[in-house]
Amino acid sequence: MKVVVVGAGPAGIRAVEQLVRAGVTPIWIEEGADGGGRITQRPPAGFSRSHAALYGADAGRAKRLHATLDALKARVDWRPDTLVWNIRPDAKVLHILANGAAQDEVAYGALILCTGAMDRVLPLPGWNLPGATTLGGAQVALKSQGVGVGANPVLIGTGPLLWLTALQYAKAGAKPAAVLDTTDFLTKARFGAGMLWNVPTLLRGMGLYAQLKLRGVKLHEDITPLAIEGVDNVTAVHWRDAAWKEHVTPCDAVAMGWGLKPEAQLADLAGVPFDYDATQQNWVPRKDAAGRSPMAGVYLAGDGAGIGGVDVAELGGARAALALLADAKLPSDMALSKHLDGRLRTERRFRAALEQAFPYPARLAARMEDSTSVCRCEVITAGELRAAAAADAPELNRAKAFSRIGMGRCQGRLCGTPAAAVLARALQVEVPEVGRLRGQPPVKPVPLQQVG
Amino acid sequence: MKKALVIGGGLHGLSTALHLARTPGWQVTLLERRHVGRHSSGVNAGGVRRLGRALPEIALSVIAAEMWHGIEALVGDDCGFRATGQVKVAESEADMAKNHARVAQVRALGWTHEEVVDQAEVRRLLPAVSRHVVGAIVTRDDGSADPMRTVMAFRRAAEQAGVVIREGVAVTGLDRTADGSIRVQTDQGEFEAERVANCAGAWAPDLAALAGETIPCGTKASMMIVTERLPHFVDPTVGATARALSFKQTAAGTVVIGGGHQGRNDKVAETSSVLFGSLAFAAQIAAQIFPCVAGARIIRTWTGTEARPPDDMPVIGESRSLPGLFHSFGFSGHGFQLSPAAGAAVAELMARGATNLPIAPFTQDRFTVPA
Repeated sequence: MKVVVVGAGPAGIRAVEQLVRAGVTPIWIEEGADGGGRITQRPPAGFSRSHAALYGADAGRAKRLHATLDALKARVDWRPDTLVWNIRPDAKVLHILANGAAQDEVAYGALILCTGAMDRVLPLPGWNLPGATTLGGAQVALKSQGVGVGANPVLIGTGPLLWLTALQYAKAGAKPAAVLDTTDFLTKARFGAGMLWNVPTLLRGMGLYAQLKLRGVKLHEDITPLAIEGVDNVTAVHWRDAAWKEHVTPCDAVAMGWGLKPEAQLADLAGVPFDYDATQQNWVPRKDAAGRSPMAGVYLAGDGAGIGGVDVAELGGARAALALLADAKLPSDMALSKHLDGRLRTERRFRAALEQAFPYPARLAARMEDSTSVCRCEVITAGELRAAAAADAPELNRAKAFSRIGMGRCQGRLCGTPAAAVLARALQVEVPEVGRLRGQPPVKPVPLQQVG
Repeated sequence: MKKALVIGGGLHGLSTALHLARTPGWQVTLLERRHVGRHSSGVNAGGVRRLGRALPEIALSVIAAEMWHGIEALVGDDCGFRATGQVKVAESEADMAKNHARVAQVRALGWTHEEVVDQAEVRRLLPAVSRHVVGAIVTRDDGSADPMRTVMAFRRAAEQAGVVIREGVAVTGLDRTADGSIRVQTDQGEFEAERVANCAGAWAPDLAALAGETIPCGTKASMMIVTERLPHFVDPTVGATARALSFKQTAAGTVVIGGGHQGRNDKVAETSSVLFGSLAFAAQIAAQIFPCVAGARIIRTWTGTEARPPDDMPVIGESRSLPGLFHSFGFSGHGFQLSPAAGAAVAELMARGATNLPIAPFTQDRFTVPA
């Protein structure tokens, strides 16, 4: 049977490892020049910063993943620099674009999608200025380009990635102007107990916090971001503290992120149904505990299947591959499957606490000023979106048709979350009721001449 | 007040409802199974084109063109209509010969809106066009509009004229009551009216069948491609004599490419989807006629479903099996421009049983009565 694995992050690596172990030779497709994922993003060849410098507490994991990745490449049909931009589930075919130019189709008998995640944003006045990026973007710049987004960046958002990025910048020689966390201490403390389900990760998070404090980085909690200021580039961030006092923090860059959302467009095109996960405040493709989607032959793992973090990605990748093998009546390690199921159960409890400790500030998104751009690609403001609601758009795809929100380059991958919050508030309904933007091919822009 | 029902909340249903509601004495309710503008009305290329129409459609299309030039007076919004012209390019001398023959034919019928232009003029009109283009047919005051904005403008105008729009109501049966009205059964109960319009697009032949009438009709799912924003390089909407192309740059800078290349249709699931083989073909044609788009990137593709009779012309006329029911469907990918005029014609048929608007060629009798 022809097995295709999409994505070579932690989930994809562990999935392919199990397939190869069972004697299957999959086609392994990765959009980037190399695998490794995001949190353990690999620097290009010739870059000399050590694993310890790049990944801190995750250095050991990064080393193991990269070694496995390299060992597997020769044993599979390894296809880096390849974008899967459409799936035809009826024909079981993927449309791919290799090296940005070569168009092809790949048939599959079974498919494991390990498509990862991206940042959730909260649009602010000025968030589309040069110098403003996401936490993920700021990380990728550091790890894969060896440059920072700025020497004195302000980091805004919430979640472990906020602290991690701040610390990585501090270690790389930047001086973060401030770390602004929209979550209050009590919320974090309340759900902290739940995070005892994964003590090492909890300790790692607390370690990040402590190291930032030690390095004298200014951490502010329970803040409200007001605006990003600048003309040709970001020059300052306006924000309000818990005591309602306004501050202006000069800076040369802004990195922001409020947790992650699954990059699940391919699952959508494969026909997998989605459910709203109220804990992580995301639409998540449906799968069972082992990673089987309701579509025969389509398996999901990693953050693209619902945000779980790197531990869950590794466990889930291996588990999905074992499920695939068992379903195909190929030899699969039953004992390992059982072990992975147990660990995934524990991780889910940890993750639920983590998500609750660092919630997406939907209330702030909903209250966005009318003049703020929600959709960066098409420059659609919150006011225009509210006008669409008034023109009788009961859900997001109708609002898209009326307002053009989500019609640009990113296809709503970035603006989908805040747009849902704005629309739901305007219609006075709960966020899940406005639905989600339907996936449409191409999932990312493809050159006109190379189509088909 | 006499009661009328319009089935179908696409542009033709909305236009019919609007015109009838503005006729004194009529109370109009529109039933739409999903939501207004769900299928091709909301997602078509927005071409406002007389150029190249089949000869029997020209008369109605010319009237529609006049209505488009005054669209704001009709529906209170300009619908994004821009009279930037339509140009159909010739890529060979053989194409030019066809163009001359076509325009001669149109002019012989008394119409003057189509004009043959030479290479110099086509290059003036389309500075970015490929150098191999030798000439064109032009209709200078054709243009394009924004389909979704048009749908919403017609909806608002219809509601202001008193039309009650009921979304989420699916018709399940059609018959006559004892007192001679038409009864429309739906999943939300029964409606009765003296006159009913069947503007149900791809599903209209099924409604005709519910009324006991078989009208030969297939479906269509024309695909559209849109590129990322490009610097402004073309104003008119562009087609080609020998190849299927519809090419337009929007005010925002994106390029919309269509031309009737077909996707897949699933009438039961009420969905249609893109077929990338035909899409590639459309992209290739576009890049050959406008080389500057060759490097552009596609950001979206989509399709919309509608009805297509065997001769690619609409069906407009009273039902032969259930008088009082009036059909208006099967516009086959070129009904957007016709919608203001076709709606007026159908409303008039419903209100007084006859119209002076030129819709005689569209009777369904053409499929049953030998010519």
